[in-house]
Formats: sequence, C-alpha cells, structure tokens
Amino acid sequence: MLPERAPRAQTQPTEQPVGATELRLDGVWRVVVLNDPVNLMSYVVLVFRRVFGFDEATARKHMLEVHERGRSVVWSGLREKAEAYAFTLQQWHLTAVLEPDETV
Amino acid sequence: MKPFEVKLVLPVVVPLLEVIKEVIQDLKSSLAVPGDSVPAADAELSEAWHSELLTGQRGDLELFMSLFGDEFINEGIIAFDGSNAEAVIRSCSAVRLRLREHYLKNLGDEALEAGDVELDKLADPLRKAFMCYLFLATLQELIISRIDDAAP
Repeated sequence: MLPERAPRAQTQPTEQPVGATELRLDGVWRVVVLNDPVNLMSYVVLVFRRVFGFDEATARKHMLEVHERGRSVVWSGLREKAEAYAFTLQQWHLTAVLEPDETV
Repeated sequence: MKPFEVKLVLPVVVPLLEVIKEVIQDLKSSLAVPGDSVPAADAELSEAWHSELLTGQRGDLELFMSLFGDEFINEGIIAFDGSNAEAVIRSCSAVRLRLREHYLKNLGDEALEAGDVELDKLADPLRKAFMCYLFLATLQELIISRIDDAAP
C-alpha cells in the first residue's frame, strides 16, 4: 500500500486562488515508464491494464512505445496522484520516474 | 480467474529452486527495481516508500515460495488461483530482474530479450541461472494467459 504523504511544511498564501496555488506548488507531473530488457511484453500490457485501467489496445500502444523508444508517458496530472501511480508501477517492478510537465 | 494446476518435472525444477531461493534471500533486503528515483524531495516519504515496497516484495516472494511445499515435493504440482496469481507473476519479475543483475548481464540485453542464448556453451552456474530465467518467464506467460480480464 502506498505510504501516506508526509505533510508539507510550506503553507499556501491565502490571497491566491486555491487551485492556482496548488498547481504552482505541485505543478503537472508525468509518469514515465522506462524500458527494461527483462519484463515480458505480455506482463507490461497486463500491468498497464491493471494499474491504469487501459483497454488492451491502449496498453499495447504504451508497451510498444516503451519497447521501441525506451520510454512512454503513461499518465500526467497532480504530483500526489503521479506518485501513487509510480509507487504501484514499482510494486510491479517496472521502472517508473516522475518528470515535471513543462508544456503546461 | 479459474484455478489451475501445473505439473512440473521435479528433477528439472528442484535444482533451479536452489538458485531461485538464493536470489529470493537477496531480495528480502533490497528492491528488485531501485525505488528511490521518485520522491527525492522528501526524505521521510522516500524512506516510507522504500520500506512499503520492500514489505510488499517480501510478501509476494513468501507467497511464491509457498507454491513449492509438500504437494510440489510429493507430486510436482503447483496450483494457481485468484489469491496468488498476481503475487506470483510479480515475484517472477523480481527474481528475473535480479538474475539478470547478478548472473546474466554479460550475455547482452538483446540476446536476453530474444532468448537467443546457446545453453550448451554456458558454464554451469550461468546455465542454471538462465534456465531459471526461462522457467520463470514460462510461468508468467502461463498465468497471464489464464487471467480472464486484465482490467481491474
């Protein structure tokens, strides 16, 4: 089970809209799965379906992207949820990293 | 998934289990995939993250080893159902990753991915490790093919 996030020491300025402040503090993050030479293609597809609820075609698309390009962005959004996904992927022994989404 | 059993050839699998047990012992204290790349900004979370992953990995591996109890020793049978299938395929993944790390790295990733390795040309410890690697992949394929619907 994912460990509970430690409380943040930083406080949010009250004069700013809550949504905007959260976005500034946490930003948008990408969950990126990196290729490894060990895990089977069928296993990676199964993991993507289990973790993200992808249909078979979407899971296969991401798996092939990992296999052929070395990486695939499988999810993007708020940091806390991205961490939860990365944690779950690591439970399944896939190599997952988080990257800030600079395009947002 | 529907429960199913697999009958294994004891003289082939028992020697492989010695290698697998050794690797599992090693995996009790370290993660198959280093889990320290994500929450680097927060040391407390990073520690909790690592510890939770290790606890989960140990639990999976215990379940995996429980496959090889009396029924296996007496009849060569291992049984899968919804309560152990996922833990077993995760364990196979963890052990395969560690086998590559400790024994098979020099074979080259391309050869490893394609399974393009001449067993006869390998020295004994390496050959055994590669056979474990293949055995665990076969077990994974078998279970994955029996999982009715991969969606959660």
